[in-house]
Amino acid sequence: MNEQEMREVFRGMREEPVPADSLARVRTRVEERIHRPRWVSPWKVAAALVMAGCIAAGFLFLRPVRMPVRTVEPAPHEIAQVQPPPEIPVRAAPEPRRARPRPVEAAPSIVPGMLIRIETPDPDVVILLVN
Amino acid sequence: MGEIPRETTGSFDRVVREREIQVLRTAFRILGNWADAEDVAQEVFLRLHRHGLEFASDGAVGGWLYRVTVNLCVDRTRSARVSQELPELVSRDRSAETAVLMEEKKQRLMTALALLPAKERAAVVLREIEGLSTAEVAAALGSSEVTVRSQISKALVRLRGILNREEV
Repeated sequence: MNEQEMREVFRGMREEPVPADSLARVRTRVEERIHRPRWVSPWKVAAALVMAGCIAAGFLFLRPVRMPVRTVEPAPHEIAQVQPPPEIPVRAAPEPRRARPRPVEAAPSIVPGMLIRIETPDPDVVILLVN
Repeated sequence: MGEIPRETTGSFDRVVREREIQVLRTAFRILGNWADAEDVAQEVFLRLHRHGLEFASDGAVGGWLYRVTVNLCVDRTRSARVSQELPELVSRDRSAETAVLMEEKKQRLMTALALLPAKERAAVVLREIEGLSTAEVAAALGSSEVTVRSQISKALVRLRGILNREEV
């Protein structure tokens, strides 16, 4: 078959009819797809749920292992225990000294014949006691 | 797909009825079987629906449809081997002998066509069978006119080679 014959055959194919059932099938399928309600098909919902589950599981089980962080606990505040100051032995208050009884000076014994001179503020007055 | 205005739907239906033969036949010529051609045609019209009908002219719709059809067919041939089902187009009323001869030639040519690379096959289908101009084919294939001419020329040489090998 040469090029001329080929072109002739091609031209002959140009207006060949198409099977009616194929056309009808295409039309029907296009109509169905276009006017199909917009709800989401169940398998898509299932796929979405499975995917969501996988993501959740990933978050739960595959999250990066965290190195244990050493938490430095703040040192507990030491409550300064204020020791009571050593008890200073409280000296018992010194008992009031008892006044030592002073020896009572013995009154000068009056010797008979003794002259006792008592001066008064008034120089002119002098009291003389004569035993 | 949500609610579409009645007018748009009506226009869309009209475009589908006007262009379905073009789309289905082109897809069949490139893919070589009706089942795949129907799938492609369906996808083409769904894309048209999503795209909308805002084309500059009626010719622009045709060009757009050819382009999408060819792209989908090329994608399909890349992902799967094209089955080489022999064409079963309805024959015209002719004398029995001429019809048989013509049918035989046609089938051989289509079988050979299926062996070409997808882009070359598409170029031949659009140029030689659909009768588009080189510029229209270039637009549909997204390449230059020079490339299209080269592709068609190479394709015809290859076809001749394939058919001559068969004859030997």
